[in-house]
Amino acid sequence: MQQLRIQIFVISTFLFSILPVVVHAQGSCNWVLSGQVIDEHNGEALGFSNVYIKELEIGAVSDENGFYKISGLCSGTYTVQVSHVGCAPVLEKVQVVKNTTQNFHPEHHAEELNQVMVISEKRTEETSQVALTLTSKEMEETKGKSLGESLKKVTGVTTLSTGNSINKPVIHGLHSNRIMILNNGIRHESQQWGNEHAPEIDPFIANELTVIKGANSMRYGPDAIAGVILVNPKEMRTEPGLDGEVNLVGFSNGRQGVASAMFDGNLKEVPGLSYRLQGTYKKAGNVHSPDYFLKNTGLEEYNFSWAAGYNRSNFGVEAFYSQFNTDIGIFSAAHIGNLTDLKRAFNSPVPLESADFTYAIERPYQHIEHELFKASAFVTTGNSGKLNFTYARQYNKRLEYDKDKPLNDSLAALNIPELQFEITTHTGDVVWEHFRTHNFKGSIGLSGISQGNTYSGRYFIPNFKKYGGGIFWIERWKPDSSKLELEAGIRYDYIYQQIYKWEDDVIISPIHQYQNMSANVGGIYHINKDFLLRGNAGLAWRPPNVNELYSDGVHHGAAAVEIGDPNLVEEQAYNFLVSGEYSKNKLRLGVDVYYNYMNNFIYLKPEQPPKLTIRGAFPTFYYRQVDASLKGLDFTFEYQLSKSFNWTTKASMLRAINKTEQEYLTQMPADQIENALEYKFPKDFKNIKDAYLAVSVLSVMKQWRVPPNSDYVAPPEGYTLVEFQAGMAVPLGEHQMNIGIGISNLFNVSYRNYLNRFRYYTDDMGRNFSLRLQIPFSIIAPK
Amino acid sequence: MMKKINWKLGILAAAAFTLTLNSCKKDDDVIDTPDHDHDEEVITTLTLTFTDAAGVEPSVSATFRDPDGDGGLDPDIHDTIRLADSTTYNVAVTLLNESETPAEDMTPEIEEEADEHLFCYTVSGANVGITRTDSDGIYEIGLESDWVTGAPSNGSVQVVLKHQPDSKNGSCDPGETDIEVTFVTEIQ
Repeated sequence: MQQLRIQIFVISTFLFSILPVVVHAQGSCNWVLSGQVIDEHNGEALGFSNVYIKELEIGAVSDENGFYKISGLCSGTYTVQVSHVGCAPVLEKVQVVKNTTQNFHPEHHAEELNQVMVISEKRTEETSQVALTLTSKEMEETKGKSLGESLKKVTGVTTLSTGNSINKPVIHGLHSNRIMILNNGIRHESQQWGNEHAPEIDPFIANELTVIKGANSMRYGPDAIAGVILVNPKEMRTEPGLDGEVNLVGFSNGRQGVASAMFDGNLKEVPGLSYRLQGTYKKAGNVHSPDYFLKNTGLEEYNFSWAAGYNRSNFGVEAFYSQFNTDIGIFSAAHIGNLTDLKRAFNSPVPLESADFTYAIERPYQHIEHELFKASAFVTTGNSGKLNFTYARQYNKRLEYDKDKPLNDSLAALNIPELQFEITTHTGDVVWEHFRTHNFKGSIGLSGISQGNTYSGRYFIPNFKKYGGGIFWIERWKPDSSKLELEAGIRYDYIYQQIYKWEDDVIISPIHQYQNMSANVGGIYHINKDFLLRGNAGLAWRPPNVNELYSDGVHHGAAAVEIGDPNLVEEQAYNFLVSGEYSKNKLRLGVDVYYNYMNNFIYLKPEQPPKLTIRGAFPTFYYRQVDASLKGLDFTFEYQLSKSFNWTTKASMLRAINKTEQEYLTQMPADQIENALEYKFPKDFKNIKDAYLAVSVLSVMKQWRVPPNSDYVAPPEGYTLVEFQAGMAVPLGEHQMNIGIGISNLFNVSYRNYLNRFRYYTDDMGRNFSLRLQIPFSIIAPK
Repeated sequence: MMKKINWKLGILAAAAFTLTLNSCKKDDDVIDTPDHDHDEEVITTLTLTFTDAAGVEPSVSATFRDPDGDGGLDPDIHDTIRLADSTTYNVAVTLLNESETPAEDMTPEIEEEADEHLFCYTVSGANVGITRTDSDGIYEIGLESDWVTGAPSNGSVQVVLKHQPDSKNGSCDPGETDIEVTFVTEIQ
């Protein structure tokens, strides 16, 4: 490791030394730079924008029509930063050798999102797809929860859970390898072959969570056939100083405590050098359903990250490192020996194992570690664009401990995990982004991946090596004051995978190769300033995952034998999305309609006969391919009833059909609707600001759209949950401390969620009080 | 002022350094040689040995064997129990792990943890009465049992081994199922 870090240091030093130096030409010093600041997406003039020349440290503010003027400039090339409230700052190189007119187009950009705070749930205007970002209020209210749980705030996103602590995000009914998570710009690579494998990401790293719905494979490679989740950290500090934030969250259920701290600094002595240090600790004990404790449902999590960056106007380098560690207790009563046990567990009104409260984590449990190291650099290429380099290494280790230790005492004493997996991934990207020219803005790039996986213990998936490469080109066309914007992208990928597994005491090493094109075309049409339409059509693919090819064994806890098929071919998705948004005065309305057709959709099909083992007969599931269609609707409605009251309705529905067998697909989220009423205190009370109260009512229907006899037990009944939230800001020195209170499942309703695997064994969590404190502080104040 | 700042920065740097010492772990396993000789403990074989208490009828046995464990290949032995009518048999259970060479006898491991294990026998159709004859001190175990056969008949006997850590109460309900095998049974 030390060696790697030295290498990186050498490489970055090298990069520094070859970077071009901007030389200011000498000459006349009377030139005027002027122009207009225009909103990138709707062509509206942006009044009161800041236009700032970095080299000279001078600037101007645009007038109400967006016009600005800076005079007295010498000949030369300048870096101009243009910022406007709600937009990401725009950095552009401008050459001034005469009186120059230059317009600027500040914007939101989903993939670049280096910007500041999200002010209200705002759809990312930049893309013809639907990209939804959690509002700062939603971020606040989900603090302390897992990533998957936090993302549920987005309409159309649900979770596939294994108990209360393992939550996998599901977008439009699809999950795992069909969606991609970009953690700080890096595709998250871990053991993605089980439903009980949640993303190993600390949400406290992010100050922005965005979900892009629909196929989006152009920029980041295959797999993202259902959507992308962007986990973006706050931008590094740009002004000298050192400050930070402490977050403390407590939950009554599970008596969970979470503490997270972040330090953000920038050195005065070395302008442009910024650094960050962040860490989180989480501890929870057994959670409680309305009627009983759930045995062995505690968890412990400890994460930290650091980042350092050196940014100048024409180049920058950045390094980021994060580590995620967790121990998750697996609910004891959900660990069963065979189908008879499963049926008995289900027929029992209470779980077959009971417990009191404890923080102790016993077998069965999982221990997971995830590391990410990222190094990135950019350099501007004259006035035309900028070249980005990114390298990342990820290491994921997963240990699974069965419920029972081995019978043999000496073996038991070793406490070896029954399953162990380690996966190491290297990814690299080179992307050239060109600035806006002739109304076109785009990027072209190359990406590569190398991955190695090993297992020890009980066989479930084999060892493998994987190499992949891709090339892409994306362009956007957006003339000034045009009602129409268009975008298109194309990508080619090649993947080589070699498997290593034992078969009859011989190692076999079959090779799988996949290659395919992805493409995407879309547009945005502004009917008028209140109403816009979006349309997007995408072609995406996904190679079969290693568990789909080679798994062979009993899936413990699921009481099922899962058998892979090495002859599976790529999944091919055709994705269509139409969305309309209307926003006028007090009303906001958004409707997204999607249709996703998939050829060779891979799924687990129950087949006869059951597999006979010494533990009885297990139902057997084979990975099979069919054609599938998923269509649905996401709906949001917001109305400001009065100055203080705000009404929100969010609803989503999905119809997922196995076209080949003409039946429903299993494990799809049921239709749901959430209504919320928020009351904002109209004026500040003494020093207390931004106080609000909110009540939301979530109703989830029964998922009756399942094929007959596809499951051991019928899907559970629908349910309605009420949640209460309140928050306020109180002064704390020169800062404001945010205080929040939440009560989820207010009426302590007993319910079971179809997408929670533990629904076979237990009710979901009961009422849960939470208290959140966000405490900002300064150590070195900016001068 | 400056000194104070340096001191604070120093703490941050020290913290970052300490944390990073623990980082960048490596996978030391070799990818092209998957793990093979791990000591996974599986019960592959269940054998019931029947001895006539009166010493008249010949001893018989019945075995269920799945040498590669759960999943994979199907069981290669799944005998039928054939017993003489109107006879009392002393029955002993043997458990083996035949995924290893030489095969490991797992029966002593169960005896050692007798207070966590219980064998349950369920008869259907056949004329046979089964009574466990051993004890862990409080409750029966079922490694040894008496089978009393009646008139000739056909049916089945299900043998279940329950693992009942901290929950053994003499009943078959608690715990997790370690073994569940059904033998076709003929009383001749």
